[in-house]
Amino acid sequence: MRKTKQEAPTFQANSKSSLREKMANFNEKVKKDFKRNKIIYLMVSPVVLYYIVFQYGPMYGLQIAFKDYSPVLGFLGSPWVGFDHFKEFFNSFFFWRLLKNTIILSFYSLIFAFPAGIILALLLNEVRSKMFKRTVQTVTYMPHFISLVVIVGILFDFTARDGVINDILGFLFGIEPIAFMQQAEWFRTLFIGSDIWQNVGWSSIIFLAAMSNIDTALYEAAKMDGAGRFKQMFHITLPGIMPTVVILLILLIGKFMTVGEEKILLMYNPTTYETADVIGTYVYRKGILESNFSYSAAVGLFKAIIAFTLLVIANGIARKVGDTKLW
Amino acid sequence: MIMWQKMKALSVLLLLLLILLVVGCSSNDTAGEQEENIDGEDMELKDPGEVGYPEEITYWTELNASVAQTSQTLNDVGVYQELEKITGTKVDFKHPSGEGTDITEQFNLMIASGQLPDVIEYNWRTVPNGPDQAIESGTIIRLNELIENYAPNLNRYLNENPEVKKMVTTDAGNMYSFPFLRGDEKLMVFMGMMIRQDWLDELDLEKPSTISEWEEVLTAFKNTDFNGNGEQDVIPLLVQPDDIKNIGPFLGAYGIHAQFYNDNGTVKYGSIQPEFKEFLTTMNKWYEDGLLDPDFAAIDTTLLDAKVTNNQLGSLFGYTGGGIGKYMGLMQDRDPEFSLAPTAHPSLKEGEKAATAQRAHPYEGFHSVAISGLAENPEEIVKWLDYAYSEEGHMLFNFGIEGESYDMIDGYPTYSEEITNNPDGLPMSDALGKYIRASYGGPLVQDVRYVEQYLELPEQQEAVEIWGETAENEINMPPTTLNADESEEYSSIMSDLDTYYDEMLVRFIMGEEPLGHFDNFVETLKGMGIERAIELQQAALDRYMER
Repeated sequence: MRKTKQEAPTFQANSKSSLREKMANFNEKVKKDFKRNKIIYLMVSPVVLYYIVFQYGPMYGLQIAFKDYSPVLGFLGSPWVGFDHFKEFFNSFFFWRLLKNTIILSFYSLIFAFPAGIILALLLNEVRSKMFKRTVQTVTYMPHFISLVVIVGILFDFTARDGVINDILGFLFGIEPIAFMQQAEWFRTLFIGSDIWQNVGWSSIIFLAAMSNIDTALYEAAKMDGAGRFKQMFHITLPGIMPTVVILLILLIGKFMTVGEEKILLMYNPTTYETADVIGTYVYRKGILESNFSYSAAVGLFKAIIAFTLLVIANGIARKVGDTKLW
Repeated sequence: MIMWQKMKALSVLLLLLLILLVVGCSSNDTAGEQEENIDGEDMELKDPGEVGYPEEITYWTELNASVAQTSQTLNDVGVYQELEKITGTKVDFKHPSGEGTDITEQFNLMIASGQLPDVIEYNWRTVPNGPDQAIESGTIIRLNELIENYAPNLNRYLNENPEVKKMVTTDAGNMYSFPFLRGDEKLMVFMGMMIRQDWLDELDLEKPSTISEWEEVLTAFKNTDFNGNGEQDVIPLLVQPDDIKNIGPFLGAYGIHAQFYNDNGTVKYGSIQPEFKEFLTTMNKWYEDGLLDPDFAAIDTTLLDAKVTNNQLGSLFGYTGGGIGKYMGLMQDRDPEFSLAPTAHPSLKEGEKAATAQRAHPYEGFHSVAISGLAENPEEIVKWLDYAYSEEGHMLFNFGIEGESYDMIDGYPTYSEEITNNPDGLPMSDALGKYIRASYGGPLVQDVRYVEQYLELPEQQEAVEIWGETAENEINMPPTTLNADESEEYSSIMSDLDTYYDEMLVRFIMGEEPLGHFDNFVETLKGMGIERAIELQQAALDRYMER
């Protein structure tokens, strides 16, 4: 970093001719480097292209958040309206509810769904029978490969008035059938619960991999010192996978405001909007169904800004507390 | 290290350049399209004699479920195969997938992309920002002159039916589509309450007509074990929130419509009237007493079919064809006793009529066909579309191919066995879908002789009569249009308002929100701008009256 700062003034102070010289020099170096590492450049190009086309390219369209976009006038031709759409959203009847629902769902999945994978991995790590361990692993990560539409379909069937869950509740406790999918207070439980069921096995894989990297000598030493399995788990396994956990957590916080809108769209209905309607689903209804593109772009941008801020904060904290960080 | 810094700078530069390139290309494209639009509008009129049928056109339209049963595209359907033989025009159909909001989604994205086919079939009356705006922006073209010059058949029909012409023209005087028109009163009534006649007979009860009679009958249903499984699992009544909101079963008895209605020239919003609270009180009581299906707020076709065919459901609000006809057909073999009969629209007092019920206008906007601003030969396309309104075209679109799907018997086009008793076992609606378009809508005038044969059961014939007779329908709003500015303001008010409304309607009925909070509900609606929306509707109604 320091070097650039020193470099910059001299670079600017140079006359045009020497700038050209430098450029030529530089171009040559690039060419040389390119020749030498052709294959590497070739290998990296699809990734770079992907980011340009699908991540940076579309950002050009973000300007419609500050415009009154009409498809006929195009991105450039539509008139500017400044922050009107943002103001409209902040003053909207549903603003606080959307924000609250988005944050609560994200928070719940952070405190319930995220640790679930770690716990499962810890448990599996202690299992000594290989057969049993593999079976459990396969069974738990299988649902990850089922399409979301099917998962939600299964959920509807299971939680119907005459579905399995109500049958069991009625048989064991004599509870009257509950219309789970139509009651706002059940939505979060169903959403997070089914998320854990679907993804716990999959997310445990990465932690299991991290555990297999821990030096076995540590465990032997601990055993010599008389540490039981619980102590080993808390003092060796957990600290051993901590860097992985922290990185994953930071990445997750970056996606904090993105709560799986597709799944909510499949699950919700007006009776559960109270707890289910989040910023993402609101953007979908406003933008795609009512073709109010500018407004929904503004709302989406607002969401992205929050997520970005959270990511920076989380990374800052991680940096201070330990030495694991994204950048 | 220095080299690295420079490399970094260069790669950022290259990246920026690439982005600019991509951006530059795409903005050039849109500019090109706009120019074409303007060219299209300035076109001079060709001599009608010189205009033939187009060689080929692209046509965007939803594929109706009854067609999808047998065909991949409308090209496979009898009417379009015959039409191609007559006109020589090859049609490239583009069908959006899915149904309901899936179609809305794909339509909006298509319009936004600017890549438009020649011909687009949609409900153009209610598109975002209205049809006038769509013409102004060049998405579709104004058709007045084209219809006058190149569509003699539609032109004649509209001139003979000035009331219809008024409906298909906007306040600004634009015609924007080849409309789907209902050619007879009998075609306009197709929804109402229906009840299990065999259950009534078993209990020796009369068909209910007033709200209190309904309550008695529903209670009696509730307490009887019709299917004999020893459980009290009868669901006496099912009405869905969307129907309550947009059409008004039971609500008509209270003299209002849930949405905007026309009270002698003054627009009112029904759900903030005190009558609406009375209605909610009744519905809430029925829900609490187990008379109204507890699943009423989240029902789909599969679930509804299951409830009816498992002999669970006592009465429902539904269609003559897709309700009575469908279920009588499904149950014919399983339960010969099964009988679903239409009942009068409920009223408060004996002998009264309901203020409003389902009754379609001759033109509502569904299945209207507009020509896109990008179409190169609008005159020819207009001529092609006009064929459906000619005498031969009318027969083709309503009855299909003579000798195949219908025969002329004593001057009456009678559907053949292929339709009425399909050898492949297709229900009549699917068999019709294989040949014609009149059964679900399209750019044509629907013929009453279609519905006379389609409603083959006496119960269905009775339904059209009884549902037509027992409602006043004086307060129904005519098919008004909002202008571009109004429509933008209106939709920005109504989209949040409707979300809130849909929730509250269900919560009031389910008792999750006590009825004591009705005044708060009204205040919230006012806070969200319902009064402004009423003003906008009033302006639209006033303009409509002056058309």
